[in-house]
Amino acid sequence: MIKETSFAIEVAHLTVSYNAKPALLDVNVKIEADQLVGVIGPNGAGKSTFIKAILGFVKPDLGTVKIQGTHVKNAKGRVAYVPQRGAVDWDFPITVREVALMGRFQKIPWYTSPRKKDRDAAMEALEMVRMTDFAHRQIGELSGGQQQRVFMARALAQGSDILLLDEPFAGVDAATERAILEVLERAKRSGKTLVVVHHDLSTAAEYFDKLLLIKQRLYAYGEPYMVLNEDLLSQVYEGKLKIFKDVLKKEGN
Amino acid sequence: MLDLFYAPLTETYFQKALIGGSIIAMVAGVVGCLVVLRRMAFLGDALSHAMIAGVAGGYLFMKLAFGLEAHAPGMLLGSLIAAVTTVALISFVSRISRVKEDTAIGIMYTGIFALGVVAVSIFRHYIHIDLMHFIMGDILGVADIDLWVSAFVGAGVLSVLILFFRHFQLATFDPVMAASIGLPVMLLDYLLTTCVSLVVVSAVSMVGVILVVGLLITPAATAYLLCDRLDKMMALSALFGVTSVVGGLYLCVWLDSAGGGAIMLFCTLQFLVVLFIAPKYGLLFRWIRLHNLVPQQAVEDVLTTVLRNKKPASVDIIRKYVDQGKNLDKVLKRMTQDGLLTQQNQDYALTDKGYKEAYTVLRAHRLWESYLESIGTPETEVHSIAHRLEHLDQAQTSAYLDEKLGSPKTDPHGKKIPAKTPKAL
Repeated sequence: MIKETSFAIEVAHLTVSYNAKPALLDVNVKIEADQLVGVIGPNGAGKSTFIKAILGFVKPDLGTVKIQGTHVKNAKGRVAYVPQRGAVDWDFPITVREVALMGRFQKIPWYTSPRKKDRDAAMEALEMVRMTDFAHRQIGELSGGQQQRVFMARALAQGSDILLLDEPFAGVDAATERAILEVLERAKRSGKTLVVVHHDLSTAAEYFDKLLLIKQRLYAYGEPYMVLNEDLLSQVYEGKLKIFKDVLKKEGN
Repeated sequence: MLDLFYAPLTETYFQKALIGGSIIAMVAGVVGCLVVLRRMAFLGDALSHAMIAGVAGGYLFMKLAFGLEAHAPGMLLGSLIAAVTTVALISFVSRISRVKEDTAIGIMYTGIFALGVVAVSIFRHYIHIDLMHFIMGDILGVADIDLWVSAFVGAGVLSVLILFFRHFQLATFDPVMAASIGLPVMLLDYLLTTCVSLVVVSAVSMVGVILVVGLLITPAATAYLLCDRLDKMMALSALFGVTSVVGGLYLCVWLDSAGGGAIMLFCTLQFLVVLFIAPKYGLLFRWIRLHNLVPQQAVEDVLTTVLRNKKPASVDIIRKYVDQGKNLDKVLKRMTQDGLLTQQNQDYALTDKGYKEAYTVLRAHRLWESYLESIGTPETEVHSIAHRLEHLDQAQTSAYLDEKLGSPKTDPHGKKIPAKTPKAL
């Protein structure tokens, strides 16, 4: 490739299935750099699978994923990941500081231990999310919002340009949601691309620059006012649309 | 008395059992931590059973090919092959069919165990394997070759785990991230399974098929109750493994019992003791914590009662308004300890801290009363409902109600609603 592409993530014909059940079908999307992108869709729509395919954790049956123009296989470590809260073992014997330090593992050669500069970088990342006071706590002792911030610190310590977050707003209170959003926006301002799986349609337009509506297939990708459109939502959410009527009204459709 | 400890140490069989057992228990403890955290305990059990087919196969092969009787390295290699085959079959079945992993493990290990049992009985004229010995183990009859095998296995497995500690830690804690930064997660899984197989295979000759999984997971689980870091957990687990072997062997000599059984019995007792007394995750301390816990509602009721009384209140007055029965003494004691109340003669007075908290609750109560009245709640119920609602997160609810009601000055009973920040006592 001669010229560097301006897209952070390029997904072409992505098809993933688990035991003959399709999770994603022929998804094509190009995500520009420096955006805060929300991934929305009903339960079981393949949102998490989409994230895992971009990470290169699930192998697609068909199609390709490119990170900054490079095939995902050769782009390891360029994408940082914040897991869903339910996917983490909170009883794991590990402290906040050690989780943040994991963000540095990709930069440490396999034969050496983490050095001082790695530890410093981890602490710096914790500082960014205001969690230094909790550095020596076991992760299960924190509140939901604090736990989320620790994993954000880990992602920031990785220094990747692209961050993927799986439902960071699930199960946190309104104040924490604000605090997390603030960290996301700060990351965006420092030139990062963020792709965030999101559940709550009523806040989607307010939080994100672009939305990606998915249910096995890609239904729409673009500005929130284009995506939050009654026809599209009724196709994707079927009977459950009533709840979202007022959301649409709020968006002025 | 001292002789009781010293005498067995002069016996060669005891020394060998002690050395061999300690090495294996130590390594099993370290690997066991990862087994426990990855919830692989059942797989460990499966591996130990599956290896009987490998032992029989290895024996038969060495005898037919080279005419060697009971060739230990041959049998070890055979059991390793059997273990790896079992793991491969398990992941094959659970990946390509709808059968879940635990079921796949159950099918495959009993199948391969059965194959081993059938093979041993068919070829009983060629191979001389005592099934009972295999199932129960014989730590007091450890041969020199077993010691060497366990020393090499232990050194090898331990080096791998120390060298790749970070990788195993990440792949266990968050496999998705591990894969995303390019760690070979599958390879690490296989490496760990191989390590577990090696440990299991060399431990079976000592404690037997049935107990080996205990040696793998019990010390690790014991350490798990005491640690918040993986490296410390591994060190402690190794220590618990060794103490199990030492304690168990003495138990076995003193009681003249089976060696493997005594070791696992000691190991389990050790776990139960730690389960009971562990400082953070133990039952005793949890029970004490629960016992000392007093309901927040009772605390807040006491605070407002004393505040409304305007002077230090006696226990009788407090008891009249706070419905806590016998619990009240505990609540008052706890609140004095927490610096919310001070005792003056027989009466209780608010401290500065207590005053501030009481003030917040009172404000919430009167705001709720105003709100309830504004939505048309019958006058007779206003107080009792507000009394229940006042305990909700006061900072948020008070701010909300205050804004919604337009910062009222008095409540429906004409009482003044306190300002947001309390005036000094």
